[in-house]
Amino acid sequence: MMELLNLWKGWLPELIDGYGLSLEVTALSLAIGIPLGLVLALAVPAKSKAIRFPALTFVEIGRGAPVLILLQFVYFGLPTAGLTLSSFASAVVALACCTGAYTSEIIRAGFEAVPYGQKEAALVIGLNGLDALRFVIVPQGLRVALPALLGFSIMMLQATSLCFTIALPELVSRASNIGSTTFEYMPVLILAGLMFAVICIPATLFVSVLERRLGRHAVR
Amino acid sequence: MIVDLTAILKGVPWTIALTLASFILGALLGLPLCAMRLSTTGWLRLTSTAIVVSCRSIPPIVWLFFVFFGIGNGLIAMSPFTAAVVGLGLVTAANMSEIYRGALTAIHPGQFEAAKVLNLTRSQQFRDVVLPQLTRIALPSGATYLIGLLKDSAVASTIGVTDLAYQSYHISQQTFRGLSVYAAAALLYILLSLPIAWLSRWADVQLRSRVSR
Amino acid sequence: MNSIASPFLESGPAASQRAGLTGEPILCVESVSKTYGTHRVLANISFQMQVGEVIAIIGPSGSGKSTLLRCINQLEPPNEGKVTIGGVTIDAGSPVSRRDLVALRRKIGMVFQSFNLFPHLSVLRNVSLAQERTMGRSRKEADARSMDLLARVGLADKAGQYPARCSGGQQQRIAIARALALEPEIMLFDEPTSALDPELGLEVLAVMKELAVSGMTMIVVTHEMHFAENVSDRVILMAEGHILEEGPSAEIMRAPKTERAAKFLSAVRDR
Repeated sequence: MMELLNLWKGWLPELIDGYGLSLEVTALSLAIGIPLGLVLALAVPAKSKAIRFPALTFVEIGRGAPVLILLQFVYFGLPTAGLTLSSFASAVVALACCTGAYTSEIIRAGFEAVPYGQKEAALVIGLNGLDALRFVIVPQGLRVALPALLGFSIMMLQATSLCFTIALPELVSRASNIGSTTFEYMPVLILAGLMFAVICIPATLFVSVLERRLGRHAVR
Repeated sequence: MIVDLTAILKGVPWTIALTLASFILGALLGLPLCAMRLSTTGWLRLTSTAIVVSCRSIPPIVWLFFVFFGIGNGLIAMSPFTAAVVGLGLVTAANMSEIYRGALTAIHPGQFEAAKVLNLTRSQQFRDVVLPQLTRIALPSGATYLIGLLKDSAVASTIGVTDLAYQSYHISQQTFRGLSVYAAAALLYILLSLPIAWLSRWADVQLRSRVSR
Repeated sequence: MNSIASPFLESGPAASQRAGLTGEPILCVESVSKTYGTHRVLANISFQMQVGEVIAIIGPSGSGKSTLLRCINQLEPPNEGKVTIGGVTIDAGSPVSRRDLVALRRKIGMVFQSFNLFPHLSVLRNVSLAQERTMGRSRKEADARSMDLLARVGLADKAGQYPARCSGGQQQRIAIARALALEPEIMLFDEPTSALDPELGLEVLAVMKELAVSGMTMIVVTHEMHFAENVSDRVILMAEGHILEEGPSAEIMRAPKTERAAKFLSAVRDR
């Protein structure tokens, strides 16, 4: 047991370094992806075909393609068309697009959960379409979508583990390196797993508590 | 371009096999796991909760590495495919047990009571009353999960399973035509998910038509 | 019913005052019909309204009362017919310009059965929002006016709170204040007390009565027969999408001409 803890102590700095990178990529992808998702959520139900079709295509591909393929497409595929990005930039671009696609559906569901009476009330007091969205639909819709958005963010953190395949030195890649040099795969992978769990488990708990509390103050 | 496409198509049977195998394994294992979660015995509940929570809080790639490099290297020799099925099957079992749990709470408690007072044995109660309703309610979530699993299966390429993602990577490295290769791969994954969506909608309609008024 | 100077109507809309003087109707509904698929909900409805009149629309469920109200303010555009309010006409037969639609909606205030207050905004903000956005009032102006209106409906102390903390009756009164904030020429009420306990309904009916007495032009779809008989000037009794009977409230309520109407009224009275 002591031996294991000592091994872990030795590897921890390296793994924390990698984890920091994972968290950075997650934060950036969410910061770019969620606003993108909001835009797409408004674009997908648009009346104009010129807006609806590209938005719908983006969402279908972003949600339908595996994250691994998206990452490799940006890192390995784009260079052949002349655009070469670092592994960090590729990770952020691919994951932000993925986030945008998934969260657009989550946010759209949030908008649709806003009772129809609210839209009517906004209409009869004379608010135009944009104002109705801005003051009535979006604030309420985002509140409904919040737990799902947080749940998705937790999944995004786990998805950064795939960036190992595009040469990003995040947590899993560091763990795999240590494993392949020391052949102590199980201990280092257990530690890496625990590091993920240490954030993901409390975060998931928080989301369920949040869900319950938001449900209590729901729109009557 | 066509050459590339036929080359990466070689990986498709592996992707399908991996997805189906892990799903079947996970769907079956999910049942006892769910039972443990709902059991009245404390330690059964605790253990199963620990399993479910850790499977869902740790990324699949870590589980695959754990099974393939951790267990596979030292203790048991296993092919990448087996390791992938075991790893993904485990994660699937955890997720499916949660889906079952949700579906069970959606079944009206009166159903369980009716089954009991009709003097059906425990296994009859389960097989004839609970299971059919469970399947109907869990179907949409299960199908959604299956589509997610299809995409997650790409992770197996990192431990050497020669699936669609694996072929795409190697062809793109060889031919430097990464853009078209990965675009084609993305399209193939999307196409593969369509039959699942259609089948699940058809099955849902079939099952509902028998129960709705 | 003359336009008595009242707390509710500080600046009586010019058009309606004019109409009241010349005797032109403020609202004209001509041959309005509405069909959902194969189901005809409204069949050829026509009636007129003078300034300051209070009309109660009553009738069995499914008679199309709410649909008629919603057709008047174009929440559901009618399939056929014309609606004219204070000079603005919306004709189902010709294309509707956005400007006309907005102009029409500005003249109408609407109160819903389910209140539809904005839960994420404070009570004060609920009443002020549209004033700022559609009437160009400043925040201070709008808030001052909102406080006035809230005081009139007896809820000035609730201004800083959120709708969820208010009872149903209070929420409906706030909804009335919100509708009045835009100084409409006509107020439409769609079963305003149906979702309330009788006790809470009374507070809302009291506010509506004061509004009527002060000269507001109102159409109220309701099951409250006491209101229909004693507060409204005219009663329209609908059944199956048609106007069954129409006339001064005392007449219709006490001496209906058709058997169907008589049956409905006695059934409702017995409650």
